[in-house]
Amino acid sequence: MKIVRWTVCLALSAAACALTSGTAAAETIKVGVIATFSGPNAIWGKQFREAIDVYVAQHGSEVAGHKVEFIYKDVGGPNADASKAAAQELLIRDGVKYLAGFDFTPNAVAVAPLIKQAKVPAVIFNAGTSSINKQSEYFIRTSFTLWQVSAPAGEWAAKNGAKKVVTAVTDYNPGVDAEAAFSSTFQKNGGEIVEKIRMPLNTTDFSPFMQRIKNSGADAVFAFLPAGPATFAFTKAYNENGLRAAGINFYGTGETDETTIDALGDQAIGLVTAYHYSGAHDSPLNKSFVAKLKELHPSSRANLASVGAYDGVELIYRMIKAAGGDGPKAVEAAKGMEWESPRGPIKIDPVSRHVVQNVYIRRVERGSDGYLINKEFATIPNVADLGYSQ
Amino acid sequence: MSIILSILVDGIAYGMILFMISVGLSITMGLMRIINLAHGGFALFGGAMAHVLTIRMGMPFLGAFLLSVLGVVVIAAPLERLLYRHIYGFDELGQVLATVGIVFLMIATVNLFLGSTILAIRSPEVFTTAVNLGFKTLPFHRVVVIASGMVLLAGLWLLVEKTRFGIYLRAAVDNRNAAASLGIDTPRVYLAAFSLGAGLAATGGILGAELLPIEAYYPLRYMVLFLIVVAVGGLGSVAGSFFAALGLGILDTFGRYLLPDIGPIFFFLAIIMLLALRPNGLLGRAG
Amino acid sequence: MTDLVTPRVSTRRAIPLFGSLWPIAIVILAAFAAFFLFPYDLAFLTRIVIMMVFVLSFDLILGYAGIATLGHAAMYGCGAYAAGLFALHISPDPLVGLLIGATAGALIGWASGLVLLRTHGMTLLIISIAVTMVLQEAASKARWLTGGADGLPGISVSPILGFFEFDFVGQVAFIYSVCVLVAVLVLCHVLVSSPFGLALRGIKNSASRMRAIGTPVYRRKVTVYTIAGAIAGIAGALAAQVTGLVGLEVFNFSLSADVMVMLILGGAGRLYGALIGTLIFMTVHHVAASIDPFNWLFVIGFMLLVVVFALPDGLVSLPARLVRFLRRA
Repeated sequence: MKIVRWTVCLALSAAACALTSGTAAAETIKVGVIATFSGPNAIWGKQFREAIDVYVAQHGSEVAGHKVEFIYKDVGGPNADASKAAAQELLIRDGVKYLAGFDFTPNAVAVAPLIKQAKVPAVIFNAGTSSINKQSEYFIRTSFTLWQVSAPAGEWAAKNGAKKVVTAVTDYNPGVDAEAAFSSTFQKNGGEIVEKIRMPLNTTDFSPFMQRIKNSGADAVFAFLPAGPATFAFTKAYNENGLRAAGINFYGTGETDETTIDALGDQAIGLVTAYHYSGAHDSPLNKSFVAKLKELHPSSRANLASVGAYDGVELIYRMIKAAGGDGPKAVEAAKGMEWESPRGPIKIDPVSRHVVQNVYIRRVERGSDGYLINKEFATIPNVADLGYSQ
Repeated sequence: MSIILSILVDGIAYGMILFMISVGLSITMGLMRIINLAHGGFALFGGAMAHVLTIRMGMPFLGAFLLSVLGVVVIAAPLERLLYRHIYGFDELGQVLATVGIVFLMIATVNLFLGSTILAIRSPEVFTTAVNLGFKTLPFHRVVVIASGMVLLAGLWLLVEKTRFGIYLRAAVDNRNAAASLGIDTPRVYLAAFSLGAGLAATGGILGAELLPIEAYYPLRYMVLFLIVVAVGGLGSVAGSFFAALGLGILDTFGRYLLPDIGPIFFFLAIIMLLALRPNGLLGRAG
Repeated sequence: MTDLVTPRVSTRRAIPLFGSLWPIAIVILAAFAAFFLFPYDLAFLTRIVIMMVFVLSFDLILGYAGIATLGHAAMYGCGAYAAGLFALHISPDPLVGLLIGATAGALIGWASGLVLLRTHGMTLLIISIAVTMVLQEAASKARWLTGGADGLPGISVSPILGFFEFDFVGQVAFIYSVCVLVAVLVLCHVLVSSPFGLALRGIKNSASRMRAIGTPVYRRKVTVYTIAGAIAGIAGALAAQVTGLVGLEVFNFSLSADVMVMLILGGAGRLYGALIGTLIFMTVHHVAASIDPFNWLFVIGFMLLVVVFALPDGLVSLPARLVRFLRRA
């Protein structure tokens, strides 16, 4: 037991050393980024990392005398075990003062007990389940939740001519959230949900669902699917089974993601979605962000993951400016922060620690540079995370 | 009635895509008796080449398709000479390890050069139009797939059952030494059969890309699907793979349409039941 | 196709009981050394140890009984969910939790084994995959119970034996996992050197011969599958307790495939082969992924090919090969 106690002392003193040294001036502050860099979902980590590159290229790697260093850890997809182990390694060995990244909900939730104990803020760049932020005071999120974008989508659809809508969502938690949020506001505004279709997670052929959507007699479909092959195949099936020709409108959220939209080609043109960020958002800040991204990574396109990471780093820089490496102070400082992001004006809600932002209604068009873009044409301002109180 | 008809049509179209993609695997795994987990890798290579040719170089679809299939055969042949030739001699566990290693390298290569996003293949405009069957519409692309599936089935059946190559192949598979002593050039027969399997994988990968989009992790994402089709069809049976693919396509479509809540559970339970009752698959040879 | 594992006549003599206890001693020593040498990597080391328990259970069925499956995650996942739910709703005691995990793994192993052990080869592989898929779909549907894709969060266990509480650095978790590993290793060792273990090896080499001498082959297979299920369940339960969250990925096909790759890499049919394969695979993966998070798959792919071509019997055959090579030289 004696030996064990000795190492406990050693490890704890190292950790304590790492924890206290942050207050000293001109210290290097390390930020651990936990995300998926390999496997079928590697796009998340790639987008995160490139956006961080852009931010650092624009703003330098020094804040208030501190040098900021990013350490990347791959967890290969939704993997709670790997995420927690990576966080432990980052906190204990590397002595990071901030954690960031987190593309999938289980990966974020798994670190909740750790960040509570270590008093280290964790900035979530994506994972969008509302309840995550309830697991620890130290979670702050710069992405979006499905309630946040789907509820405005329902309201907008009802006010803009949709009478009868069929929802078609993937049968997993985010899909169920999207369905609930859209239905509640759509019905509140006088619309009718004629059918709720839930599609199994590993569906590859969507024709059967297209037939059901057609048979439901709806004049529009609201869809939510995980990014990647599923959205690709769904939107393709929507066109090829003649739904568009039959006049059934498409409403979605992230289905027209910038990284997959060009694979859809002309079929995507005209799809309407409600979302918090478009790579084509018309503002000088976004233009410089997108231009810098193009310069550093010519084949990349800015999407929700990019802006989540970009704003996440902005937030971390602001917290470092306000509190250095002092976690609790940094979280306090973050509450209520407001700034202009490439997506538009944003604010950190002091209660939910989630970003309050505009939700835009967009339509897919062919941009001047030949790429497909999400052109924003209506704005629902200052939407908070409506799912936090659900 | 029209619902059942519509499920049937959707199911057949889906099943035909499954057939196209997995028939090559049925050949390498069933006839050549090698656990080739890298099969999907050849489909990925075919799809990736078709992507580069149609999107980045602006080639028309048909030319790109033929060139890609040819390209995959050109890659597969030396791979067979260098690697697979030795892998045939490994025990099954060694084959698993070796082909998993190969598929990892294939994925990493595509990921390095083309990234991990969906690699679209531009197909002719006419593919995306809807064909009206009266009781439902069917994407024209599916009509093309169904037709090419039938052609492939007929061609393969003729090749394996009626040609000299087919006789050599079956002889070489049943008893390699005896075949060799009868003067059959078994290494060349194996080379040809392997290249054929790879070419079929590429064909299926490209034509099926509308449904199973090509991306770097394609071989792992759909490995289970391919294995199921081959196992249900029965190893070594082209016709078995065909009926299995069609049956599974219809079963899956049926489950998703009528029982969306438990569709996948129903699908996998049905497979368990079927295999428990017919362990050699629909048309597999015993043992 | 015949069995996935070709019958190979064993040339090794029966292992004397104490002569091969040295792997267990080495495991304990290595764990001690790792504890002091890598005090900052205990979380990762704990993952390796848990995976070792899991791969050991797979060695029992693949390496010893010759049953090749691609659905071993079924038992791991059931163990994880069972232990997680037990800790959340009934009792936070970790050791009882392990027992619950083992029971869940054994139950699912027994039930699925009854069906799938009647088949072999490719059919067995596919049924084992299908069983895992059914469980994953069911866990995904039962959101009220499992939390669905968000995972089952907030699992916390009481101090082990009432004394040792899971700490921030992960020391207790590591020691706890090593203790479980050693216990499982001893159990497996006793099992494989017992008459039952010899019968398994006989079945692997020639099932028909064993049937001819009166061994109930099917029943022996179901028994070992159930035992392996229990151990896999323990591994899952351990992971659930250490991580504090169970996600749907415990049923992933890739987990089952990884386990098979790790075992073959190390050398199937030898307990320490399972340990070495897991250690090498996970360490190489970890190091390669931290050097280049995007392209580490190249390294793993090359490693597998090199091993399978240079050492067809897995990494454990390396020393013997070296000795032979040196003697010739």
